Amino acid sequence: MEVGFLGLGIMGKAMSMNLLRHGFKVTVWNRTLSKCEELVEHGASIGKTPAEVVKKCKYTIAMLSDPSAALSVAFDKDGVLEQICSGKGYIDMSTVDADTSSKISEEITKKGGCFLEAPVSGSKKPAEDGQLIILAAGEKQLYDEAIPAFNVMGKKSFFLGQVGNGAKMKLVVNMIMGSMMNAFSEGLVLADRSGLDQQTLLDVLDLGAIANPMFKLKGPAMVQNNYPPAFPLKHQQKDMRLALALGDENAVSMPVAAASNEAFKKARSLGFEDHDFSAVYEVVKAPEHSA
Amino acid sequence: MATAVIKNNFYNVSSIVLKPSTAIPTTVAMCSNFCPRISNRLPGPPISSFPTQPRLCVSANAFSSQATNATSKEELPSRIGFLGIGIMGSPMAQNLIKSGCDVTVWNRTKSKCDPLISLGAKYKSSPEEVAASCDVTFAVLAGPESAVDVACGKYGAANGLRPGKGYVDVSTVDGVTSKLISKHIKATGALFLEAPVSGSKKPAEDGQLIFLTAGDKPLYETVAPLLDIMGKSRFYLGDVGNGAAMKLVVNMIMGSMMASFSEGLILSEKVGLDPNVLVEVISQGAISAPMFSTKGPSMVQATYPTAFPLKHQQKDLRLALGLAESVSQPTPIAAAANELYKVAKSHGLNDQDFSAVIEALKTKLQSSEN
Repeated sequence: MEVGFLGLGIMGKAMSMNLLRHGFKVTVWNRTLSKCEELVEHGASIGKTPAEVVKKCKYTIAMLSDPSAALSVAFDKDGVLEQICSGKGYIDMSTVDADTSSKISEEITKKGGCFLEAPVSGSKKPAEDGQLIILAAGEKQLYDEAIPAFNVMGKKSFFLGQVGNGAKMKLVVNMIMGSMMNAFSEGLVLADRSGLDQQTLLDVLDLGAIANPMFKLKGPAMVQNNYPPAFPLKHQQKDMRLALALGDENAVSMPVAAASNEAFKKARSLGFEDHDFSAVYEVVKAPEHSA
Repeated sequence: MATAVIKNNFYNVSSIVLKPSTAIPTTVAMCSNFCPRISNRLPGPPISSFPTQPRLCVSANAFSSQATNATSKEELPSRIGFLGIGIMGSPMAQNLIKSGCDVTVWNRTKSKCDPLISLGAKYKSSPEEVAASCDVTFAVLAGPESAVDVACGKYGAANGLRPGKGYVDVSTVDGVTSKLISKHIKATGALFLEAPVSGSKKPAEDGQLIFLTAGDKPLYETVAPLLDIMGKSRFYLGDVGNGAAMKLVVNMIMGSMMASFSEGLILSEKVGLDPNVLVEVISQGAISAPMFSTKGPSMVQATYPTAFPLKHQQKDLRLALGLAESVSQPTPIAAAANELYKVAKSHGLNDQDFSAVIEALKTKLQSSEN
């Protein structure tokens, strides 16, 4: 199966690499072309623009950083819309708000193309290991056709109905995740300030009802003040912001999410944007003593 | 070690912070009239000779052939007291009884003891009598007020304690309360261990609790086999206060997580998603936690079968916020979560499972009868 792949960041690179390894023919594009080189070494072709990629491939997957990048790749000159047409499918796996996704979907469909939003749950390592959770919505037919690619990139795929549902599901999951990371950080700091051993707290948490892979994976590094970026903080804060906007639109009370968002905002202002989102721990630790 | 226990008998009464009960100085005076109790049973063997999951309580006499030197002066407790037969105390005591232990129970509402009595437990009508008739007494009470009352109040356990005995408080309280109870208990010459648990009703039934203990190490070592019957793991965390703090930290994180999960369930439904699918998606990923999988489905159905009463979760959050304040730590997420539990309480959801906090986010609230 031949696919195009737009966006070779932390996620896109790992996902397209998996496709290549599993025998897919992949044509890649990235805003910074040099990022394509490693993929080319593994057998990928290069497209000089998103339009060129779409022209060449029946199916094109996009994995971009945020709504503005997703819109830009779709709408700008040399973008996806210039070459999308009947018989072609566009699968946007970026995490965006439902409105952005709907906008892209509408334009794609107007040109005769098929659209599927398919944001993922899972960060760098699950992407590398092909263990993502794919939250798709839009054209069911395109979803069915994309399954072989989804099965390579992910461990489980969901079809959630109309465009917007995938985006919303992703935002809700990441909202909970962001609040959990904040709660975890508050607990780690309180343990430390109360004279408890933080590793012991991690051990206790791992035995009980609130044990989860995120605490287990990130806890030890956080305690060492290490935040290697698996999921950049700026993206987590973007997701919280979008989730809060969703809550706003629907008059849903979300005080814990709102408090979490504040912590992520503060972390961004202190220069932790590109660190892993677990770097919010620094804000919880010492709000007065910024880095 | 034995010497240190005896010394406590002659505590200067004026150094004890007196609580409303006037029984304490009497107890100390009584102790000083006794001969210090020197064990005529040989000390128990060290931890390593116990199987990790003993299924049988054995009396100290069985170990008389394994004499060790007198520094290990605590004997294996053969008579076990149990104060507080609620959601947690009942299954915990039952596990001890089923393992062959000699258990004496007390509960403020006597009828709660009936199932245990029919399993062979003895009953005494006050904490004082239980403590007096047992080697080690466990207390599993709702919170600081009842823990203090049962330990130090009129007819409280302290009145029945003396050197050679132990008191293990499993209640979840703040560090200040725990230290207060510890002081009163130790003033009698007995040993004290705070031992709050992580785990609710089902882990209690299944003997899968996690004990977060602190206090007198020798008592910890003595009761370890009993903890192993009731639990799957145990931690000894040092000075009194550390167990309480660890429990509060864990439950602070848990309370915030449940509040956030509730926000997600409500939001997902409001925007046209199926909350059951949200539960499934979460269970597949990095934030998959047993609590979410266990409680998610019932929360979606708006039912909250009580494993951990909401009033206790809110109490724990309140105490955790107090702990954070005492160390000058802002905890905005826990504070926001606490507000939701308070709203839920104000709508009569005290005795529902703490997952009922989701109701605090709804516009049309369940009545407390549901």
